Amino acid sequence: MLKRIAPLALAMCLALPFAAQAEYPSGPVTIIVPSNAGGSTDATARLFILSAKKFWPNAEFVVKNVGGSGGQKGFEEIAEAKPDGQTIGMVFTTQVVAHVVSKRARYTLDSFHVMGNVADDPEIVVVPATSPIKTLDEFAKAAKQKSLTVAVNGIGSDDFVAAKKFEERADVTFNLMPTKGSTEQKAAILGGHVDGSFMNLSQMFAQHKAAQARIIAILSKKRSEILPDVATGIEQGYPVEMTATRGFVAPAKVDPAILAKLDDLFQKVMADPEFLAACKKNNMYLLPMSGPEYVKYLKDEQADTQRYFEKNPW
Amino acid sequence: MIFDAVQSLLAPSALLAVFIGTVAGMIVGGMPGLTATMAVALLIPVTYALHPLTGLVLMGGVYCGAMYGGSIPAILLHTPGTPAAVATALEGYPLTQQGRGGMALKVSVVSSFIGGVFSTLVLLLTAPLLAIFALKFGPPEYFLLAILGLVGIVSLADEGRLIKALISGILGLVIAVVGTDPISGSLRYTMGVRDLFDGVAFMPVLIGMFSITEMLKLTGATRIIHEKAEIRPIKREPMPKGMGKFIGLGSGVGTLVGILPGEGATIAAFLSYNIARQHSKNRALFGKGNPEGIAAAESGNNGCVGGSLVPTLTLGIPGNSVAAALLGGLMIHGLIPGPELFTKHGVITYGFILSMFLANVIFLGLGLYFAPYFARISLIPTALLIPAVCLFSALGSFAMNNSVFDVYVMLFFAVAALVLERAGFSLGALILGLILGPIAETGFAQGLIVGHGSYSVFFTRGPCQVLWAVILLLLVPPVIQIYRNHVRGAKADG
Repeated sequence: MLKRIAPLALAMCLALPFAAQAEYPSGPVTIIVPSNAGGSTDATARLFILSAKKFWPNAEFVVKNVGGSGGQKGFEEIAEAKPDGQTIGMVFTTQVVAHVVSKRARYTLDSFHVMGNVADDPEIVVVPATSPIKTLDEFAKAAKQKSLTVAVNGIGSDDFVAAKKFEERADVTFNLMPTKGSTEQKAAILGGHVDGSFMNLSQMFAQHKAAQARIIAILSKKRSEILPDVATGIEQGYPVEMTATRGFVAPAKVDPAILAKLDDLFQKVMADPEFLAACKKNNMYLLPMSGPEYVKYLKDEQADTQRYFEKNPW
Repeated sequence: MIFDAVQSLLAPSALLAVFIGTVAGMIVGGMPGLTATMAVALLIPVTYALHPLTGLVLMGGVYCGAMYGGSIPAILLHTPGTPAAVATALEGYPLTQQGRGGMALKVSVVSSFIGGVFSTLVLLLTAPLLAIFALKFGPPEYFLLAILGLVGIVSLADEGRLIKALISGILGLVIAVVGTDPISGSLRYTMGVRDLFDGVAFMPVLIGMFSITEMLKLTGATRIIHEKAEIRPIKREPMPKGMGKFIGLGSGVGTLVGILPGEGATIAAFLSYNIARQHSKNRALFGKGNPEGIAAAESGNNGCVGGSLVPTLTLGIPGNSVAAALLGGLMIHGLIPGPELFTKHGVITYGFILSMFLANVIFLGLGLYFAPYFARISLIPTALLIPAVCLFSALGSFAMNNSVFDVYVMLFFAVAALVLERAGFSLGALILGLILGPIAETGFAQGLIVGHGSYSVFFTRGPCQVLWAVILLLLVPPVIQIYRNHVRGAKADG
C-alpha cells in the first residue's frame, strides 16, 4: 500500500513548486514575524492571514517566528530572503530603525519594500498606584529632587528612546532600569519596585482600569478611546511622542508586478471589516498607513533616533 | 457561579477540547524542542473561532499535558522534553536501565497529577491573596532565587566530586555570558554570529548533552536495559512506598515558585529535587535511580502550572512564557485580566480553572494505563532506537528557533558532554549554571539599579532575608557532611 502511495506523494511534492510558478499568488507564502509566538506582532500576522486567505485562496500562508535580538534576526531574514514573493514579513518600530542607527543591522530601510502599517501601540508613562505622582509635571519635579528609578524595555527600544526624549524635554536624568520586556516592567510597577516606567498602552491599560497602577500620560497626538481620562504629553506641556507601529514589508528586490499584487492584498485586508473587527477585539489600535506613508514615517523615525543616538550612544 | 461554570464545562465540546488539548500537550511535551508555548501560540487563531471557554480549556489542556509529557522521554531515553524535566532524567533513566522504567513512569505521572491538582486548588481558592506575595519579589529577590537554585549544584555533586561539580556550574555560567548584555545591550563573545546574539540556546545544549551523549554511549550496547539486568517482560510494578512526603514537598515548592513571574518550572523542579536529596533517608541512591527524586521534581514542575496562572489571571503578569501565550488567548476574547475576570467573566474563568483538574485526571489515566507500554521502548534494539532518537533530537534543536546553527550547537555539546562526563564533571550542574546564569545576572544588575548602586539592597529587604535563610539552610548541611568526610578521609590516610 505504502509503496503505491509513495511515488504519488513524491510526484505531488515535486509538482507543487511548479504549480506555484504558474501564477503568483499560490503555494506557500511565509510571513516572517520577528518576535516569538504569542506576542502582539504575532497575533497581528495570524489575524492578517485569516483575512488574506479569503482574497488569495490559492496561497498557503505560514507564520515563521524568528524571535530575539529585538527583532534584528527576523528583520535581517526578511531582507535576505529569496526575492520571489513567497516570503514577506513584519517590522515594528523603533527597533527596526534602532538597529540601523546603532550600526548593528545587516540591512537598511532600502532593503525592504514597505507594504504599509496595520496598527500601533502608543507609549505611556505609568507609576505605581501608591505613588503620589499624578501628572508629568509632578513626575519631572520629583526627578529633580531625587533620582527616580524608571523601567524601560531594553536599550534602543521605543521605551528607551521615549525616556531619553522626556529626559531632554524636562531636563532631568533618570536612573534607568532596562528589562527583558513588559512582563518585568509590569511586575516592577505593580510591586512598587521602581518609581515609574515607560511602556506601551496595551501592556498596562487593564491594570490602570483596575487601579493597580496609574497611567499619568499617553505620548501620542490625541487621547486614546480606551482611556479618555488620561491626558497626552502635549497637553501637559511635554511634547514627547512615541508609538510602536507594526507593519508589513517584502524584500526590496521582488519583481514589481508581484509587489503590486502584495500591496493590493494589503489594502484589501485593511479594508476587510472582519479583519478590523478581529483587531479591535484583540485590543489592537489600528493605524492604517499606505506603503509610501509608512516609508516616510520610518525615515523620520530613523532620523529622530539617529539624533538621540549621537547624543547618547548605547 | 461555580455551579454555572461546572455546567458549561460539562458541554460535550468543552470536554472534548480538554481531552484533545491534554493528549496534544503530552505529545508536544514529549518531543524535545516542541514546547507548550509554541503549541498554545499556534492554537490562539484556532480558538478565535471557538466559544471562549472551549478555546481556553483546549489551551489549558495543552499546558497541563505538556508539563507532564516532558518526563516520559526524560525517563525512558535520557531526553528531557522540557528543561524542567532534567532532574527527572537524572533519576528516571537509571531506573529504565535497571528495567524498572514502568515504575518510574508511574511515579512520574502520579506526582505530576498531585502537583498539578494541588496547585490548581491553590489557584482556585487563594489566587488574589497569593498575587500580593508575587509582587513582593523585585529584582534583588530574583537574584537570590537564582542563587537558591544554584545551591543545588552542591547537592548534585557525587561523593568526593564537589570541586568538579562547582567547576561544571561555573562552566555553565560562563557559557551563559555569551550574547547580548541585558543591561547595556552590548554584544559579548558573539563573534559576529547572529545566532549567538541571544546567547547559546539552552534547549539544543540540553538535547545534545543528555540525549545525543546517551545515544553515543549506547552504541556499544544492544538495548537500554543493562545486559546484567534480567531481560523479562516489563511487569506492572506497584508504586514504591514513602513517596507522599516528597510529592507534598514538590507540590508546595512548585506552587510557590510558580507564582513568581519568570522561568519557574525549571527552578521549582531543581529546588524540590535538591531539598528531597538532602532530606532523604536513601541519599546514596540519588543519581542512581531514586524514585523519590522523580516524585519531588515532577510534582515540582507540575505545581508551577496552577501557580503561574495566579499572577496571570489576577494581575495580567504572565507567570512564564506559556502563561504569556495563554494571556494572548484570553485577550482575544476580550477577557482582560484583573478582578473582573473572577466576577463578570466568572463562569469562563472558573470553568477554565476547573478544566485543569479534568486535564490532570486525563493524563493520570492515560499515563497509568500506557506506562508499561511506553516502558517497552527500553527493549527496542539500539540499531533502531539510536537513529530515531538522533533524528528527533536534531529536529527538535532546529525547531526551537528554526536555526541550523542550533543543530551544530547540539552536536558540539554532545561531544563536549561525553568528554566532561568521562572526566567526572556533573552535567546537571552545568545545565543549572546555563539556565540560571542569565536570571542571576539580570537580577543582580537590576537590583543594583533599584538600590541606586548600593549592595545593601540584597540584605535589607524582608523577602531577601528570608531567601538568605533558606540558602543557608540548604548549604550548611552538605558542607558539614563534606567536611566530616574530609576529616574521616584524612584519618584513614593517616
